[in-house]
Amino acid sequence: MYSSQLKSELSKRGAETGDQVRITKRGVTFEGVFMPKTTLSSPSTITLKVASGYNVGVEYEEGTRIEVLRKGKAVEFAPAANLPEKDPKKPSVTILGSGGTIGSRVEYLLGSVYPAFSPQDLVLAVPELKELANVDGRKIFDLFSNDITAEHWKILCEEIQKEIRSAVNGVIVTHGTDTMCYTSSALNFMLRNPPVPIVMVGSQRSSDRGSSDNYVNLVCSVLTACNSDIAEVSICMHGEEGDEFCYVHQGTKCRKMHTSRRDAFRSINVLPFAKVWYREKRIDYLRNDFHKRGRGEFYLDTKINPNVLMLYEHPNLRPEIIDRLANKIDGLVVVATGLGHVHTNRYNDPIGVSILEALENLIKSGIPVVFAPQTLYGRLNLNVYASGRTLKGAGIIGDGADWLPETAYVKLMWVLGHTTDMDEIKEMMMTNVAGEISERTINEAYLA
Amino acid sequence: MTPRTTAEGQERHQVFKCGLEIHIQLDTKRKLFCGCSTAMSEKEPAAVVIRKQHPVASELGEIDVAVQYEFLRNRVFHYQVFRTETCLVDLDEEPPHPVNPEALEIALQIAMLLNSDIPAEVYVMRKTVIDGSNTAGFQRTMVVGTSGYISFKDSKVPISYVTLEEDAAGIVKEEDGVVTYRLNRLGVPLVEIGTGILGGFSPEDVQEIAYTIGIIAKSTGKVRRGIGTIRQDINISVRPEGRVELKGVQDLGMLSKVIRTEVERQLTLDKVKHETRAVRPDGGSEFLRPLPGSARMYPETDLLPIFLEKDYVNRIRRELPEPWTRKLERFARELKLSDQLAKQILRSDYLSLFERIVSSIDVEPSVVASTFLSTLKDLEKRFGVKIENLTDEHFEGMFKLLAEKKIVKEAIPEILRAAAEEPKERIEVVVKRSSLGLLSEPELRQIISRVLKKERASTEKTVGLVMSQVRGRADPQTVIALVKEMSKAVS
Repeated sequence: MYSSQLKSELSKRGAETGDQVRITKRGVTFEGVFMPKTTLSSPSTITLKVASGYNVGVEYEEGTRIEVLRKGKAVEFAPAANLPEKDPKKPSVTILGSGGTIGSRVEYLLGSVYPAFSPQDLVLAVPELKELANVDGRKIFDLFSNDITAEHWKILCEEIQKEIRSAVNGVIVTHGTDTMCYTSSALNFMLRNPPVPIVMVGSQRSSDRGSSDNYVNLVCSVLTACNSDIAEVSICMHGEEGDEFCYVHQGTKCRKMHTSRRDAFRSINVLPFAKVWYREKRIDYLRNDFHKRGRGEFYLDTKINPNVLMLYEHPNLRPEIIDRLANKIDGLVVVATGLGHVHTNRYNDPIGVSILEALENLIKSGIPVVFAPQTLYGRLNLNVYASGRTLKGAGIIGDGADWLPETAYVKLMWVLGHTTDMDEIKEMMMTNVAGEISERTINEAYLA
Repeated sequence: MTPRTTAEGQERHQVFKCGLEIHIQLDTKRKLFCGCSTAMSEKEPAAVVIRKQHPVASELGEIDVAVQYEFLRNRVFHYQVFRTETCLVDLDEEPPHPVNPEALEIALQIAMLLNSDIPAEVYVMRKTVIDGSNTAGFQRTMVVGTSGYISFKDSKVPISYVTLEEDAAGIVKEEDGVVTYRLNRLGVPLVEIGTGILGGFSPEDVQEIAYTIGIIAKSTGKVRRGIGTIRQDINISVRPEGRVELKGVQDLGMLSKVIRTEVERQLTLDKVKHETRAVRPDGGSEFLRPLPGSARMYPETDLLPIFLEKDYVNRIRRELPEPWTRKLERFARELKLSDQLAKQILRSDYLSLFERIVSSIDVEPSVVASTFLSTLKDLEKRFGVKIENLTDEHFEGMFKLLAEKKIVKEAIPEILRAAAEEPKERIEVVVKRSSLGLLSEPELRQIISRVLKKERASTEKTVGLVMSQVRGRADPQTVIALVKEMSKAVS
């Protein structure tokens, strides 16, 4: 980070982040708060926050003088607004935090973001929440979504179970958005017959800005958790670029389809469960085929084998790569093209390549191979083309499924947690467990 | 030019202290943080996005006074989207792209021309704004110069800072809690120049200082022109405890009047409230919102720091444009402009276009200068001509025609008037269509002979009669010569 010379000078002067310092260089004086070093800042510059609030970089060179004028204070958040008394007439909801920027607080002096998960913090960040429900909250993890693993899914399930046992009306899980759909799929397989809605929510714009989507997303999530009848794991995120409504997506049928837009989350092959109007506080159902409150017996089924690989079919993929996977994985999801195809060199072209034999060998060695569509939209059909029929004959799983690659991947892990028998694997995979396979696709569900 | 004031008035107006913030739009091709055009020429929005903004919890567990006030107004924002001038960055749907290098270079030029220290590293900051004029809820801004100064009447006027920032969205209307903004202005590069505290100056001095800063910025040749391209805010206090920020003085010539009015207003009050007021066209002001508390400014985490390499900074310094004082001398010496005209053209929005025309087209500089300084004003004030429709190409084309003797200078007002009505047409077409081109000698002779046939009169009167028919289409000297020649032939 800092050059060794600057580093030793700073430690000699006892200068620490947050201190008021004075730097004198060739007769020019700079005063301000000594700021933390940001990534990719030049090693020879010192960053000061000057009186106007701006940060200015001063280059350290031979003869530059650094003085500490006043030691800084550690960041201390004043207690947030008092939480109102619990209102027995209002529904209660618990917000479990797994990370992401949603609901965090900004410390403006140094510009750092702190997670905010006490109920007071949440109510402070989104004052409207207290009008809708008795809100409780706690932090389970504080992780980037990419760092969430199958083990974290299990812990989340246990924490959700605790909340359900304490008779809340609904549970909200905040999560980073990148891999939220993996988690929503996993929770849907692991939480059997939940009696209340479990709503996953995140934000695409950091919470330090007045325009953050977290506000509308949280309000709509609370409405869904408290008032809807959608007793399964759903995702509630912006439905459009504006702030008018959120969609409640089926957790196994949803995908992040944009790197940055607020409405990045889209239902694929199905309509969203519902549309929640932020200003009107109204829920409009678009479907009725979700698991309802209080139906069936609730239990956890968290057995899972995460040793599954997802492989993206593409031209030139060499069969040797697949051969090498043989003893390393317990299951393979191939994200195949079109109706469910990979290169099989069907016409024995002299310079062609086939991965058919490699896949067959994996299956023979007891490793299930599951297909899912690269197109995301539509249903696999291995009967239409000769190569599809060959693959089906080789034992590929997935013909007729309209699942998403991520969902198929999570499901295979979950199925492998239950059995290693190839026939049973095949049967469990092809049986709809959590809405991941639908029987029919309506035309409105494309690019909806 | 200082208006006369009574001895007492003069004294009363010397007691104030003020600070200027001058905002200048830069004339770059692209916006500051994205690839959108800065033309701001699209009229019809392609779509409208409806948004809300919410207060953000601060580190103190309270919400800033100004922020809360704005929140209580409970407004909904309608953002107009323009196809070539708005993208996901403007809509706060995509992180910013790296700072536009063209804009950074112009900003550094301005900072150097104002004798500022250039930082070693530039950091983009987020400044919380909650009136909805920034879709993000903050404005991105960065310091490119500190501790500068300009010389003014034997004293040094401190220039505290020079920043490069994104312009806010332009307000279209506000009714029933719905505020409509156009996003084509959001993201246009803007340089903000902040003076230190100015004390002991008259309102007219402060206006002169503002002019001088404007001239310095314009000397880069990369500053936009037109209404709203230069805006100033001014902080004024007559007592140590109350500071008032006046926002949005668009016409520099109004500045001294605005200051005078505000000083009078503050002097009549027992206690001055900290607040922001909007300047009315008449120079008075009205309450806008309380002043924001301590600057809500924190680092923009989506952009990396910009380390200014020494070679880069030195190159910009080497290639700095001519200082304005030297330019003034040169205008008088080489272009033979009167002192008055030279000073006026330096202040004009058309400075860089003026320089381009006189250096590339063989025309009388004073004709070009007076076209920009008086003809345009006249056309706008007296005839309501939309001079903002006139492009650089119009002016360059017209002065080329003048140099080629295809038009006469008397036709300039009519040509510009016609061009402003059909701004999409080339100037040659406009000239032809409105018969504003120079008459050929046979055409002129025909007109003269018709006049001579109709009435025998003195040469002077004949010239008058002919001129009334050909004004703007013939050179008066040529008309006189031909009339003399032809009346001799007739007699």
